[in-house]
Amino acid sequence: MSSHSITHRQLFFLIIQSQIGVGVLSLPYSLFSKAKTDGWIALLLAGIFIQCSILAIWKLCDRFPRSTIFDILPKIMGKHLGFVFNFIYTMHFAFISILILALYNNVVGKWILFDTPHWVIIFIMAFTGAYFITSTPREMARFFTIVTPLLLILLGLILYAYTDVHLLYIFPVGEVGLSSIINSSSDAMVSLLGFDVALVFLAYTSGVPNKKLKVISFASLCVTLIYFFIVVTTFIFFNPLEIVIVPEPVLYMLKAFSFTVIERTDLVFLSVWIISVATSFISYLFVASKGVQTLFKLKKHESAAPFIALFCFLIAIIPNEKLEILTWNKYISITSLLFSGIAPIFLLLIAVIRKKREKGTASS
Amino acid sequence: MKKVLYLVPILSLLTGCWDQSMLNQTKLITAGGFDYTKNGKVVTTAAVPQAVATEAGQGNIMNQIFSASGFTARQSRLRLDRKVSERLEASKNQIIVFGEDAAKKDIYHLLDVFYRDPKSALNAKLAVSSGKASEIISTDFEETKQSTGVGEYLRDLIRSAEEGATIPKENIQTVCPVMFDPGQDFALPYLEPVGGKGKAVNVKGVALFRGHKMVGSIPEPLSVVYTMLTGEAATIQMSTTKKIWHKKDEDTLNFATIKVKKNKRHFNVLVSPTGEISAEIKLKTKVVISEYPQDNLSKPPEIKEIEKLLSKKLSKDAQEVIKRLQKMNSDPYGVGRKLIGFHYPTWEKLNWEEEYPKIKFKASIEVDVVGSGIIE
Repeated sequence: MSSHSITHRQLFFLIIQSQIGVGVLSLPYSLFSKAKTDGWIALLLAGIFIQCSILAIWKLCDRFPRSTIFDILPKIMGKHLGFVFNFIYTMHFAFISILILALYNNVVGKWILFDTPHWVIIFIMAFTGAYFITSTPREMARFFTIVTPLLLILLGLILYAYTDVHLLYIFPVGEVGLSSIINSSSDAMVSLLGFDVALVFLAYTSGVPNKKLKVISFASLCVTLIYFFIVVTTFIFFNPLEIVIVPEPVLYMLKAFSFTVIERTDLVFLSVWIISVATSFISYLFVASKGVQTLFKLKKHESAAPFIALFCFLIAIIPNEKLEILTWNKYISITSLLFSGIAPIFLLLIAVIRKKREKGTASS
Repeated sequence: MKKVLYLVPILSLLTGCWDQSMLNQTKLITAGGFDYTKNGKVVTTAAVPQAVATEAGQGNIMNQIFSASGFTARQSRLRLDRKVSERLEASKNQIIVFGEDAAKKDIYHLLDVFYRDPKSALNAKLAVSSGKASEIISTDFEETKQSTGVGEYLRDLIRSAEEGATIPKENIQTVCPVMFDPGQDFALPYLEPVGGKGKAVNVKGVALFRGHKMVGSIPEPLSVVYTMLTGEAATIQMSTTKKIWHKKDEDTLNFATIKVKKNKRHFNVLVSPTGEISAEIKLKTKVVISEYPQDNLSKPPEIKEIEKLLSKKLSKDAQEVIKRLQKMNSDPYGVGRKLIGFHYPTWEKLNWEEEYPKIKFKASIEVDVVGSGIIE
């Protein structure tokens, strides 16, 4: 077990890398299309909502130390219902992986590899994922820690946008009304997803419970702030009427900058971004493979890895039109909000009401 | 062993050759121009520089000019492609020139292809030609025969004018947000071919836009004042020569040339309780006198006097710029943008296009002389 355990710091990077992913590119666009110039308020609200989910996830996992969500479900719901919910959760995590693949393929196919067949683009990512999740959580966490400094490159590139911004574009504040802001904060929550992998990774984290909560909350705060920075930058770079026609504002913004050596800054950004996407994909694929392991009562999750990756790959190549991906995105976003955002709170309630907890843990 | 097995298929994937674009199979456009024909078709003119080896062993640049027409910018480009032996690419484009007629119609329709294509160069400069764009592109420049192509030449021409603050700094991407903004407009360099059969190109001033359309221009000496009023702190060579005296017999002695060290702009837009909109630009500028043929700048009172005269003259010019802008109904300083930002309820109610020429808009420039070169 010891080689499987991860430290607090590794958990922090794990959560950060799982949260930052495909969403970075289109978040400003989706926020703006609903909440207009107040999109950034919606994002901050989403950060607060997510904190509630994080609290629930942490409390739930704290009642059952060393258990993943897939071990917890049968314990609090009974064997049969637990199996059904295990299946649902496995599918849920698998579909988030699929969505990541599809969106990643969509961006890469549109911005860099115009002529490369889509299945190749997806296959490379799925294959990498399959290979990665055969390792232990600790090895994955180490890799995530190493690649985190790369985020600074992304932020540095975005910082360059401040050479040409129109600060007035952020005004007027609070013109769209509270309902649209709350409405669009659900979109922001989807981009901030990734904290839900804690449902599984908390079981591997060694250390004091309070410290774990602090680490996850801090990771989520960091990601919210990074997103906030990106959203505000694009909001003041683009005109309010222009941003609604550029679905990937961040890339579009970078495309305009060129330096003596680098002509297309967006390509540099994309190549770093792909690593961020890969890390979120790996996280979710790992969680899904854990689910498969529980469902089929396998000894190791490694044996499930190739199959779950193949499954994701096959489904991810189905949608080949932009509109189809958008529809998928819509439905999977709704289920993600349900299962990752709201469900943990209910699961915690059930556990509390039915007084379920692991034997031997002290009641608080 | 297992890991090696994983590696084999990955390695085979690394040799992808779907997305390659061979330089020897493409022709790179470095300058493009758009015009409209009489019956409304778009004419694209493109300059493609080709390196030609000469006997002396030195590379020489030969500019090939192609043009084709079509109903849209893209169609004319596709037709252009058919005239050229290799595939045309605009990924290294340096400048796009609009003929005046094309600019007066709508430039966004023509630019759409650049915004949409992930490969296009968004940092290319934009300019308006006083005649046809094809004239500018196909000019047989004296200066550029040996060294560079048309694209580089025009880009450098515009860059030096930007440094001299004759025109504001813009490229394809920077005008885009402003083009969409209902509360702000922009200006582009205004070029004219000079020297008979077109041996050179002159930056005549700035061409002002309203929305997507060109609505007028401001000529060269005044366009420096225009650029100063945009709030640009200073450029490398922001200079202007002004006639400040009227009493000297020899006309040269009536002039002074200043070089701007630093501008500071105070720009206020106010809405009175009765709903009247007024705007005011106050520019404080620190200048160095770089030419003053009268040569008596030794005493503070004299400098004060010159400061006063310069302020008066520049303020008059600034007011003139504003007057012209309001007449053209172009709002490059973004009075409307300020209204959107700080007086949104007022903005929602009014018809800006009708209101803008009527608002009270004042501009003044206050000059502070901080130096006079190495002599007094």
